[in-house]
Amino acid sequence: MPRVTMRFVTPTIVLALTAIDALAHGPTPQKIDQTITIKAKPDAVWKVVGDFGGIKNWHPSLEKSVGEGGDKEGGTRTLTFKGGGVLKEGLDEWKADNFTYSYRMSDPDLKALPVSSYSATITVAPEGDGSKVEWMGRFYRGDTGNEPPDNLSDAAGKEAMNRFFNDGLKGLKAKVEGSGTQ
Amino acid sequence: MIPSRDETSNQRGCLRLLFRARREAAQAVLLLGLISSVPGVASAASIFVASQDAGQLARIETGTKTVAATIDVQAGPVALATDAHGRIYLSHPDHGAITVVEGRTNRVLRRLLYDGQPFGIAADPDGRFVYIGDWKAGHLARLDAETGAVNAIAVVGKDPANLALGHDGRIWVADRESHQISVINAARMQRIATIPVGEGPFALGLSPAQDRLYVANVRSNDLSVIDTATLKLLATVPVGAMPYGVATSTDGARILVTNQHAGTVSVIDAVDLKVSGTVKVGRYPEGIVVSGALAYVANWFSEDVSVIDLASLHEIGRVPVGEGPRALSVTPNDRSQRSEVVR
Repeated sequence: MPRVTMRFVTPTIVLALTAIDALAHGPTPQKIDQTITIKAKPDAVWKVVGDFGGIKNWHPSLEKSVGEGGDKEGGTRTLTFKGGGVLKEGLDEWKADNFTYSYRMSDPDLKALPVSSYSATITVAPEGDGSKVEWMGRFYRGDTGNEPPDNLSDAAGKEAMNRFFNDGLKGLKAKVEGSGTQ
Repeated sequence: MIPSRDETSNQRGCLRLLFRARREAAQAVLLLGLISSVPGVASAASIFVASQDAGQLARIETGTKTVAATIDVQAGPVALATDAHGRIYLSHPDHGAITVVEGRTNRVLRRLLYDGQPFGIAADPDGRFVYIGDWKAGHLARLDAETGAVNAIAVVGKDPANLALGHDGRIWVADRESHQISVINAARMQRIATIPVGEGPFALGLSPAQDRLYVANVRSNDLSVIDTATLKLLATVPVGAMPYGVATSTDGARILVTNQHAGTVSVIDAVDLKVSGTVKVGRYPEGIVVSGALAYVANWFSEDVSVIDLASLHEIGRVPVGEGPRALSVTPNDRSQRSEVVR
């Protein structure tokens, strides 16, 4: 039985090693910074966005998300993308009192997002009668060598990360405003 | 007005014209920098800040909160090192190059080409050699500081990040993806030891007496403290999220660690090795240097430099700089103050 399992496991190990190789941070970090206003009080927005493992409840690009270890520093979530690929993220900072948390990617999956690493912070702040949500972060392109192919370049990473953040914020707005919580 | 340029390095066939054009562009910006600088400011030291996206080196005189001059160093400078003559060496990992700047005159002396990804950088005090960590190749290379010729290579670990060169001729290399420090004998260019540290070692700081090496570990969110005589790990100190830069106060009593993800600087007592304070700075702080009673922090996301008063442990100012500031260096303006340099 173990021997048979090994045969199936081997290709996975090879893939995993390749992924670790791509983990190497390149030298050029890139910025992402997006905001959206939501017609709801910050605590109502926080109720939705502050469930770290429940991101699939508001992010339209995700098939599934599973939280582990709780909403606190060290907690993780595993995201399964509709377009394929799985990413695990870990919480670095959890500040529920300030409606903000920071997290970073564990291992890259270029199928999910064409980047080798990223870290990000999401913050809910009051604005007028409603809220403003900022989602900002830093990432490195998928191929950190000096001649990356087009699909793993800084531009490809920027496009994918901006789309992921933008779609997510729109989804969050729709979820919160649609649910009627005030 | 502008002194004639050192021509020794750029004699490479068809690249020569390209370099001349680039130099002229650099000189034009340099001239602007000189015009905008304030004459007669007598400061203890100059802080130089490398902005990766702006391709710029900014100069801040200690005691001021403005940029006195900017120097065009071409795209993508990341790490920088200084020698005893006040020259500044900048690595350009994406472009396989090293720029040499004369700090005193804000003048680009030359650009050295290196076939690889030079990231971490150190310069020997007399300015003969530049040492670079090649991120992709996983080795340390010693280059002739005049010509850029590689004259020796030493094997290190995976993804070498920052380097620190000690007075005793040992080079400490943060092997980021090998989770260790490689110790290199610079004269022989041979690795003499490896020391396991936390996860993702990135930034290094030697204490003023150089009896300790401080290592900021990006992934494990802690600081490894190494005894440089025994090469043993003395302690591991938890700090904030994503520690990315380290320096010490001039007397060595306090260790300062930037926490990129937390937007803070952790202040650690060097005797009991516990965090004694936290200073809020800009977003995504990276490099940190100390000059006298002040610390300077490059805030990558905020595109500015935080000035911290080490007596009150407060941020007392922000200096806007070019896009993508990541690393800084200090050049004392009075040579008698050289011992203040904390790299």
